[in-house]
Amino acid sequence: MSSPALSIRGVSAHYGQSKVLDDLNLEIKSGELISLLGASGCGKTTTLRLIAGFMQPSAGTIHLGDRELTALPTHRRNIGLVFQNYALLPHLSVIDNVGFGLKQRRIASAERLRLARAMLEIVGLSHLADRMPAALSGGQKQRVALARALVIDPPLMMFDEPLSNLDAKLRVDMRVQIRRLQMTGNRTAVYVTHDQEEAFSISDRVAIMNAGKVVQLDTPEVLYRQPANAFVARFVGFENIVGFRVTDRTDNGKVGIEIDGGVQVALSEADFGKIPDRGLIATRPDGLTISDVPGGIPATIGLRTFLGRTYQYHCESAAGMLVAHGRIETPHEAGAQTVLAISPQHSAILPFETLAGPKEQQA
Amino acid sequence: MKRQLGRSLPLLLVLPGTLVVLAFLVLPVLGTFSGTIGPAGNRLALYETFFANSNNMRIVLRTIRIALIATVISLVFGFVAASVIVRTNGFLRQILLVASVFPLLTGAIVRSFAWMVILGRNGIINSTLMSLGVIDQPLTLLFTEGSLMIGLVYLFTPLAILSLMGVLESIDESVLDASASLGATPFGVFRQVTLPLAIPGLIVGGVLVFTGSLAAFATARLLGGESQKILPALLHEKAMVSFDWDAANTIAVVMVALTVVVIVAAQYTARRFNPVAG
Amino acid sequence: MQRKPHILVRLLAGFVFAFLLLPLVIILGASLTSGTFLTFPPQGLSLRWFSFVLQQENFISSFQTSLIVATFGTGFALLVGVPVAYALARFRNGLPGWYSSIFFLPVLVPEIVFGFSLLKGVIVEYDLPVITALLIGHTIIAIPYAVRIVGASLSTFDFAAEEAAISLGASPIKTFFTVVLPNIRSGIIAAFILAFITSLNDVSVSLFLTGPGISTLPIELFTYVEQHFDPSVAAVSVLLMFLTIAVIAIVERSLGLSKVMR
Repeated sequence: MSSPALSIRGVSAHYGQSKVLDDLNLEIKSGELISLLGASGCGKTTTLRLIAGFMQPSAGTIHLGDRELTALPTHRRNIGLVFQNYALLPHLSVIDNVGFGLKQRRIASAERLRLARAMLEIVGLSHLADRMPAALSGGQKQRVALARALVIDPPLMMFDEPLSNLDAKLRVDMRVQIRRLQMTGNRTAVYVTHDQEEAFSISDRVAIMNAGKVVQLDTPEVLYRQPANAFVARFVGFENIVGFRVTDRTDNGKVGIEIDGGVQVALSEADFGKIPDRGLIATRPDGLTISDVPGGIPATIGLRTFLGRTYQYHCESAAGMLVAHGRIETPHEAGAQTVLAISPQHSAILPFETLAGPKEQQA
Repeated sequence: MKRQLGRSLPLLLVLPGTLVVLAFLVLPVLGTFSGTIGPAGNRLALYETFFANSNNMRIVLRTIRIALIATVISLVFGFVAASVIVRTNGFLRQILLVASVFPLLTGAIVRSFAWMVILGRNGIINSTLMSLGVIDQPLTLLFTEGSLMIGLVYLFTPLAILSLMGVLESIDESVLDASASLGATPFGVFRQVTLPLAIPGLIVGGVLVFTGSLAAFATARLLGGESQKILPALLHEKAMVSFDWDAANTIAVVMVALTVVVIVAAQYTARRFNPVAG
Repeated sequence: MQRKPHILVRLLAGFVFAFLLLPLVIILGASLTSGTFLTFPPQGLSLRWFSFVLQQENFISSFQTSLIVATFGTGFALLVGVPVAYALARFRNGLPGWYSSIFFLPVLVPEIVFGFSLLKGVIVEYDLPVITALLIGHTIIAIPYAVRIVGASLSTFDFAAEEAAISLGASPIKTFFTVVLPNIRSGIIAAFILAFITSLNDVSVSLFLTGPGISTLPIELFTYVEQHFDPSVAAVSVLLMFLTIAVIAIVERSLGLSKVMR
């Protein structure tokens, strides 16, 4: 059975007077796992609640396959939900929790038990069938929540930051299991998270959201290499973003640019593709290396932090504070003057926009 | 010396309070109990006499029956009101809370008196119905079982609201959302999730209302009158009017026994049906 | 985002809130009548019944008695009850687990049984004066409030603060008054208010303990209602209600009750 596609068209939503979703459009393909990624307040949870039916949109429609969801109350939408705090029914045992959805569908007791046990087997919790939720660990609770949502065989699964309350190692294990279960069942799934690594590791596509809109929707690889603007770039790890304007161009694609602070840098269109007259250049810390080769950005080394595989240096330059990486074998001292070279494979050119001040950039 | 004082400090601190309670509560009540012990060979003589009297039996049964019904109604009212308060925020919530709790602070006489004004022969209901021409003789609404019931429900609904607010507030809304997403209709969510989780509050509230109703003297006299006598009124009559202190002692013991039985039964039920601990 | 309860639930709840408040509104209205009967709506508005009751000797003297009994009864209950609450919270190991139940026995025994037993076993036995009887009775009524509410306040108190003070050189008694007491002030005040109001309104205990010439306001009111059915009862009720509000408002204003009630 193939899962239907989820179609969100022109959806706006309000909390009281404030608009939290602004003309949202999202097409999710059958069998695809899409993450909604963003900081708190960006509208990702609101989107999920709208699809689930806990909120009504002030405009727009939501379709699952050819069913229009917006007209249906929550209990008729048949969507499998996994919540951040698990939301297990505290007065029911694990097996009764898992069977709850089946009970609402009037499935006979014996059949319910069989299906619930089978699902508990899949998530590895058969031995806890008769425990009460209060006696379970966080990871166990989440697996029960997962089993409970999957056992009703829903055409759409949704996850609301399901792993935020678990510790780091567990998070990695659980997200793999979730992805595996989603792929085996070929289920369409919407996954809400603020953790970029989590979203990128398991999604077919990721929608980066900000202020109630989708800023960029692409596969993780594309988002990682080609962010659409400064916001997305910062999100995916480009810590150094400075403005530039082209000062001269040559015929063989070499472009000289002047970045903020007046420094001249030479770029090649062979590496970056077409370079506009004005724009932003974004570089990951990996993409700024400490060297003495001319043609880079002069900087003074400031704080040095040990990251295990490299050293990280916060450097002062005419273009502002830059974060660079340096080899473990050759640590540099604070105060030293150096030149930072830009490497193209960890950099990207972005359309020009006025950058916010340093404090706002951290938001 | 200091260490000795240290070890006996807790005892010293509780001594005055303990003595006060022992001297003025425990001993006198025990005295009342011992006053019901009959002569050697027939210790339960007083009880036999008491329960053999059909009037007494009627009063005992009426007391229990009215208390039970008042408890059920108060719990329903309390549940509904508490559900709404819990889902309200801000200023409106404060107002609703004050509205629920303030009657508790006005005392039984004031509250029972209000219903006398409403239900009396020249009361609001009768005057309105008469002036509308619906009836030509005033209805006897006061001094009936109904008026006593209304009075008790009025007295104890605030207690029910307070008892239920705790449990209802502690129900995580995401649990209700999850239940709905799994296919439970709004009524299904109430029946399968909200109600079971509210049981501890229902038990606490139920005990408070029931034991309170058993002992509601002022309300019983003002709204029930002579015809709807319940145990507290009977006790007062035997003690201060007929000076039948044997009967008064017996009634006292029966009332305490009823209270204790209800409280113990509630503790037991609460433990057995504790939904969360399984 | 909270989901609104079902419309039926809200309607029924609205009825319940109206049910709770309307009778009190009716009393207020009835007290303002210029006529001689208890009616609602009142026939004309006037404060005559208020001035009437404020001149009634029986109401005034019984109110004074009630005030004295409530104040001293509650005060004495706190005097013996606060050390108990302190001991129960601080020395969990020094006292058996069931010990606290002793101070909740007044809850287990119906007030009318208590009043009767106290009369029979103590007052009559030792021929105690009425005012003493009332003080004893109301102290017992107030003790559970003192122990329970102050106890709740103490349960959130970190006794490490006490130990810190003692290690800095303060004597245990000084520590109690300067460290512990200020922190449980809100609990003591809440206990005082609730016990005070309960005592002011008490009928079942006072019933047996009042005597010729000395009565509490509720008892006076009770006998009055059973004999006369006129607006003066409404006026007294309204005055009592305003007194209750005033007590709470004063405490709220000067000490921040919202912290106490949460």
